[in-house]
Amino acid sequence: MSETAHTATPQDPQRLHEEMQEVWGNPRGLKALTIVNHTTLGLRFMVTGMVFFLIGGILAMLVRTQLAFPDQEFMSPEIYNQVFTMHGTVMMFLFAIPMLEGLAIYMIPKMIGARDLVCPRLTSLGYWCYLFGGIILVSSLFLEMAPDSGWFMYTPLSSGEFAPGPGSDFWLLGITFIEISALSAGVELVVSILRTRTRGMSLDKMPLFAWYILAMALMIVVGFPPLILASIMLELERAVGMPFFEVAAGGDPILWQHLFWLFGHPEVYIIFLPAAGIVSTLIPVFAGRPIVGYRWVVVAIIVTGFISFGLWVHHMFTVGIPQLAQAFFSAASMLVAVPTAIQVFVWLATLWLGRPVMKLPMLWILGFLIIFVCGGLTGVMLALVPFNWQVHDTHFVVAHMHYVLVGGMLFPLMAGLYYWLPLFSGRMPSERLGRWGFWLTFLGFNATFLIMHWTGLLGMPRRIYTYETVMGWEIFNLLSSIGGFVMSAGIAMVLLDIALHFRFGRPAPRNPWNADTLEWANTLPPSPYNLVSLPTVHSRHPMWDDPDLPRSTAAGEHGLPGAPFGRRELWGSDPLTGKLREVIHIPTSSWWPFLAAAALAVVCVCLLVRMYPLAGIATLTAVGLLLRWSWENGAHPRAAPDARVAPGEPPLHSRTMDGPGLWAMSIALLANGSFFLSYLFGWFYLWTVSPEWRMPDTSPLSLPMMLMAGVALSAGAVWLEKLVNGLRRQDDRGLASGMLAITLLGGAQVALLVWVIWQADLAATETAHDAVLLLGLIYVLLHGALGATLTLLQALRVGYGYVSAEVPFEPAVVARLWRYNLVVYWIVLFAVVVMPMWLGGGA
Amino acid sequence: MMRLALTHPLHLVIGLTLWSLWFVAIYGGLSVACAVAPPAPAQGALTAINGVLGLLTAATTALLAWLAWACLQAARDELGRPRFVAAVSAGLYLFSAVSTLFVGIPVIGVPPCL
Repeated sequence: MSETAHTATPQDPQRLHEEMQEVWGNPRGLKALTIVNHTTLGLRFMVTGMVFFLIGGILAMLVRTQLAFPDQEFMSPEIYNQVFTMHGTVMMFLFAIPMLEGLAIYMIPKMIGARDLVCPRLTSLGYWCYLFGGIILVSSLFLEMAPDSGWFMYTPLSSGEFAPGPGSDFWLLGITFIEISALSAGVELVVSILRTRTRGMSLDKMPLFAWYILAMALMIVVGFPPLILASIMLELERAVGMPFFEVAAGGDPILWQHLFWLFGHPEVYIIFLPAAGIVSTLIPVFAGRPIVGYRWVVVAIIVTGFISFGLWVHHMFTVGIPQLAQAFFSAASMLVAVPTAIQVFVWLATLWLGRPVMKLPMLWILGFLIIFVCGGLTGVMLALVPFNWQVHDTHFVVAHMHYVLVGGMLFPLMAGLYYWLPLFSGRMPSERLGRWGFWLTFLGFNATFLIMHWTGLLGMPRRIYTYETVMGWEIFNLLSSIGGFVMSAGIAMVLLDIALHFRFGRPAPRNPWNADTLEWANTLPPSPYNLVSLPTVHSRHPMWDDPDLPRSTAAGEHGLPGAPFGRRELWGSDPLTGKLREVIHIPTSSWWPFLAAAALAVVCVCLLVRMYPLAGIATLTAVGLLLRWSWENGAHPRAAPDARVAPGEPPLHSRTMDGPGLWAMSIALLANGSFFLSYLFGWFYLWTVSPEWRMPDTSPLSLPMMLMAGVALSAGAVWLEKLVNGLRRQDDRGLASGMLAITLLGGAQVALLVWVIWQADLAATETAHDAVLLLGLIYVLLHGALGATLTLLQALRVGYGYVSAEVPFEPAVVARLWRYNLVVYWIVLFAVVVMPMWLGGGA
Repeated sequence: MMRLALTHPLHLVIGLTLWSLWFVAIYGGLSVACAVAPPAPAQGALTAINGVLGLLTAATTALLAWLAWACLQAARDELGRPRFVAAVSAGLYLFSAVSTLFVGIPVIGVPPCL
């Protein structure tokens, strides 16, 4: 592709804007529910996150009020348990992660020179799932039936025996629902960053913020599924009595801890990494020079992403694990300080070598550096097993966690919000109000949590409802409570500043901070399409290279100008080099995501109130809506019925074999694989560790039938690969009939599996063995059914002309699912049928 | 491994993936070994379990260190993006090697199943 092939001659900017607005503009009124645009949805995520932050903050103040004096009866113990549980849950699941996802959703396309995320309807589904799930979860507070077992819901405290009310169900179902949102964002952020960067933005020229978000998104994809599995298992135990965590039936409550912290510890870094991305973006801007050690930061990001998955057991040092295993996790926990330290030194070196300007965002960065380094140091203390034993479950741990999370997330977030405020609104914040807000928050925070370290060292356990005067904790608690209210005043000041700036803020000039990244090439505030034309990038600092970019992009002087074919288009580029590969066309506003999320919300509520038939109907409705949504794709009249592109442009992605959908499927299967590996971990864990695990002498499953089902699946997968290979050669002979035959093979596998389950007569409510077995069989059964259904739809789409040698893209996506099903099925067969036969039932 | 060019972006994740597999192997292997055949506590750290874990640690460290060295050499011969990928990969392999050694060192002195 030549440079000139993609570069338009200057055109009338107003005409171009109107053309783009026609295609990209957001609907109004009730149809605003159908918006899929990343700018609008990113803002919705952030505003909703701030509302939940205020709710979580009020709950924190209730906790501090209760603990301000000894022997208080401000709240009953039952309400107190609900309040501290919901404080942690709301802050972690409804504020921290969605807020940062919202920022990433808003910022990433603008930073990488794209016009939207690659799966905009998925963004919309994610938002609605988050909103509905959050409302369902928070409603439990007002019904006085909120979860009360702590935000990590340890079994058996959260199990049916000790938490018989619906509180735990609210948590399990609500959080699982919200995690759909997190996974949606994770998948599409990964694909968008890898495949939609503007021309020339190779991996080594990518903004550091995009590196951080790439790592965060991949960590969400791998880290969330263990918790989803654990939540499903605990809900199944509570609702129908499958005893995964009951020792007497062969289960083990420690399994919950493993699965929870397999998610829970990476989550800390899922929250920290985007925040560190904000810091790495802002410091060079305010220091007026490129960051020192870009490569070192990339190394640190990747190391953090991996190592953080090897630390989960340091939350479980007191449960009785061999000393050698504790030593492994202790060492790994100390190691994670190294990449963090690399980043801290990079930031300091950049400030040292630059000429820092202490504007409002930098004040929050300074606060971050102080607080986060302190939190990191107490983290290293907690990595030491003997010290960890001493302060386990005390206020010291609570103080450490808040130093890391508030210092490591809230302070950089505030810095980022102030920094990007001119982009959000086109106006500048007030320095005076903002500084008051910062200092009150900073001083209040330290008054609360620095003192809480001492309270913890004096032995005050976390989560106690009250304490006696003789303990000597009263003055520390009083000071912490006063600090908490000072911090609240600071946050209120910040929110007031942000609210007032929309009315009274000085209009922002273009690129008000003299930043180097592409988001500042947008108009302030941005249009729904971001850029009229997409620039070519030659370095890591496009806005420093060419400060005229805002004008020249708006004038259509760069690539892919306007919307001449009436489609929403962005560039598809090579993930490594940033060279152009396709023109990606993305879908427009739609009701399907909203309706699907609403149907899923009905499923959630029906499960809560134990109306299972209705839940089943709602599930089928949701599946139907999602499949109907998938129908509008490829050559469908509402997608890209014709393949026209401007002369010199690459082809439409739906006319190639390697579009973003294939990448999205692969990343989604990575999440699915993480879920499956967590399941295998649970199976082998219970088999080897659970004291009452009972493996039957002979497998209850019919091996011949399982083998026959496997053969049907294998034949279908091989046949599908053959058809896809034909499409690669532009040969679509026998495509429709082949798809139908493969559907039948998939159907045969499903039927055989149903028969296997039926005849096995599993006692899934009596033994953990049978419960885990059934769960695995249902997993492969559902995957088989999904594979067959999607293949049937492909056969229909061939009939409609939406899939053919000219539009060959979709079968390759479905084939990837079949490949996954194939691998998973044979592993299940080996792990749950063949291995027990080999190793003996008494194991 | 060497068939994959040392400037290939997969090297950005191979080192830490190997580290992860090694980590799962030593933690999982230790747990299973202690559940199936725990040695007598009097043996201290001089057990077959520690021996196997130690050998696995040494082999993994050596492999990762060699890959770090190879990527560093490749980085010296390249410019631009390929140099970036090879240099970052070298750093990641080096970190993985050091991490393997650091996490694995306790097998020298800590009994396996106490």
